[in-house]
Amino acid sequence: MKKGIVIFAHNNRQNDYAKLAIIAAKLANKNLSVPVSLITDPSTIDWMKESEIFKTAADIFDRIIITKRPEEINMRNFYDGQTKTPALFNNSNRSNVWDLTPYDRTLLIDSDYLIMSNTLNNYWNVDCDLMISGKYNDIFGDDRTGYHDKYISDTGIKLLWATTVMFTKNENTKTFFDLVEHIRENYKSFANLFRFDDRIYRNDISFSIAKHIMYGFETDNEYTLPDILSITDKDYLSHIDNNNLIVLASPRSDGNYCAAKISNDLHVMNKQSILRNSNALMELA
Amino acid sequence: MNFGYLIVVSENQETNYSKLAYALALSIKNTQKPGYDQVALVINDKKKIKDYTSTWVFDHVIEWDQEEHWDGRSFMDQLSPFDYTVCLDADMLFMRDYSHWIDYFVENCELYIANKSYTYRGEIVTDDYYRKCFTANELPNLYSFYTFFVKDSNLSKEFFTLQRAIIKNPVEFSNNFLTRYTPKIVGTDEAFALAAKILDITNEIAYDLEFPRVVHLKGMIQNWPWPADSVTDHVGFYFDRGANLKIGNYQQHDIVHYVEKNKVTSETVNILEEIAWQKN
Repeated sequence: MKKGIVIFAHNNRQNDYAKLAIIAAKLANKNLSVPVSLITDPSTIDWMKESEIFKTAADIFDRIIITKRPEEINMRNFYDGQTKTPALFNNSNRSNVWDLTPYDRTLLIDSDYLIMSNTLNNYWNVDCDLMISGKYNDIFGDDRTGYHDKYISDTGIKLLWATTVMFTKNENTKTFFDLVEHIRENYKSFANLFRFDDRIYRNDISFSIAKHIMYGFETDNEYTLPDILSITDKDYLSHIDNNNLIVLASPRSDGNYCAAKISNDLHVMNKQSILRNSNALMELA
Repeated sequence: MNFGYLIVVSENQETNYSKLAYALALSIKNTQKPGYDQVALVINDKKKIKDYTSTWVFDHVIEWDQEEHWDGRSFMDQLSPFDYTVCLDADMLFMRDYSHWIDYFVENCELYIANKSYTYRGEIVTDDYYRKCFTANELPNLYSFYTFFVKDSNLSKEFFTLQRAIIKNPVEFSNNFLTRYTPKIVGTDEAFALAAKILDITNEIAYDLEFPRVVHLKGMIQNWPWPADSVTDHVGFYFDRGANLKIGNYQQHDIVHYVEKNKVTSETVNILEEIAWQKN
């Protein structure tokens, strides 16, 4: 069975997702020793060529798969510590991964997920054709974890974190991703049924609902990928020290920071801070 | 094996408990295997059930009016016609076959009392909003809504004798044992927990098991981010023609302790009756 990692990257005006994907791919490839493919769009490819990272990308990625840029766009604030910038972003084509992946067993990761360990290698042979991370794990634990980091709504189902998704290509997972797409297309209707805030499209919510429905309207607590250790976009990836990530995290998100040394897989929501450390991260990999 | 479920009700002005017991008995007949589906009803007035169309779902009807309201359940060991019994609260519904739980209890236990409950989302209830007395007085977290016992067991006799004494003498026992938080009423749950603590038998009668799984639909213990008087003010209670129950977005497969008595309507009962007649 051919196994590999897939990362989506569709650049916007604020973030160079292609460059983030290159960094995430290099770290993943180093620590998991499996090939990584990029799914992107023509305009992002153009930018990669213009910014002279395309050759690096071609060297790192097993395959670069070009697909149509997703049409729907969301607007949200991107924080870089205390600074915020509103920007449009495209994240609505994840359900296409089933059709686009070149692998039989795929690990789908976000481009801001830095794989620093080989933990996820323990899941390739698990006898389950679809696993999603079941929990957000803030660097400060429950103190900074909101109710809607755990549930999609006040009375709704548990929120899974589609930051990491592992699946085997088969009929069951085809149905799952078709269902994710159906939920995306009918997001407002599902928002009424599942009572979540539909103002921004979230893959996490679509994936959670699809898994819940496929599991018979119950929660599957058995087969999940590891919790997503995360720092928010109000925190920073400060620098790299001796193969560790040094992060500055604000316990109350108020500008007062604590430093922490991380050697585990880490979801760094502050994308600009990853890009600022791109050279050191590439050397680390 | 002479096993059966026991439901003890005492009709009052506010709630038609016999109707709830009838719905529960129907759901037991509809879901449990033969040999695991016997039901005995203890009721203060037999006439209350005479108008139900399928009273055959009660294998035994015992008229008994010596105690009122929930005090009758204190006598479950004396009232049960079975050698092996699970005594249930009336406001519950069975959603699937649980006979394998009974096999375990019969094989391994003289007395076993439920010691956890679940939210409609399948999470273990951790909030002690309704159980301040338990937390403050370090009582074991027992729920009398699902109690298994063997009739001739010494352990059961000793336990039920003491809990009857507690129910009969609530002030004395509260003053001596529930001093850190005195409940307004010493109910069956408090009496069970205190009896287990005094006899020091909690590890024998309420050790950790994955079952019984009972969904407890009280508002304040559903892990919601705000206070709630009743569950169905906030999520739907969807009972379909196949007697499947969905609460909010969750299909229910465990025993549902619905608490809100008006959720079992004549329509609910009719659905259960139809299935019972088709099955039998």
